[in-house]
Amino acid sequence: MIDLLAAIPIAAVICLVLFTALDIFWKLPKQGGVSGADVIGKELEKNGGDLNGGWMIGNIISSPDASTGTIFAACSYYVWGIWGALIAIVLVYIGEHICADKGFAGVSGVVCATLIIWLLTSFAGFPPESFIAGCVIAIFLVEGISPKHASRLLGKIWRKVS
Amino acid sequence: MIVEGICVVIAAYCAIRAVFEPKTLKKLPYLNVMNFAVAGAIVLLMPYPITIGAAIAYFIGSTLESNAIASTFARLEEQ
Repeated sequence: MIDLLAAIPIAAVICLVLFTALDIFWKLPKQGGVSGADVIGKELEKNGGDLNGGWMIGNIISSPDASTGTIFAACSYYVWGIWGALIAIVLVYIGEHICADKGFAGVSGVVCATLIIWLLTSFAGFPPESFIAGCVIAIFLVEGISPKHASRLLGKIWRKVS
Repeated sequence: MIVEGICVVIAAYCAIRAVFEPKTLKKLPYLNVMNFAVAGAIVLLMPYPITIGAAIAYFIGSTLESNAIASTFARLEEQ
């Protein structure tokens, strides 16, 4: 069993890499998608940020994406193991359609995060709650410190990958 | 209590930053982080299966609200 204080930073890095990779895989920085995401991206660009990174942050804010999936996989796995994760998949799928999101970023986020959390808690001794804190810290790093600088970094990553 | 503490501190910090941010559209990223932290705190403080539904309903609802606010701004800009 890994100590909780050591597990949280590792979980934060895993969550950050996981949802950034999935969001880029589902091409969230490519366009605004819903109109709310578009206007948030443009607002961030106006304030010195990057348009593609801004669109990605806009999509994270205005529709349930992979980061939403990651936190719900962590929460539901903590409460009820794999069964909880199955409930989360159904609810996030419904939530995505309520928010007029046509992609499957949220659902793929829950599935991938559940797999990773299951592997790490079963075989590496991570406490399940470390992933809840890890995911909150990861999203705080992206949006909570400086969305402008985060959008520039995300834009750079997007241009390198695409 | 460490995990609950992290969630509550991040939620409070982002709520304060959102209050002191003058532009509505720039408040939304901070509010989104706050919603993440609150959803995490709900599950951590009440670890029952039914709480999963409550946390997801809270989070999807707040996402919808953010989308509605941002969409209204988009429509206003179009006009």
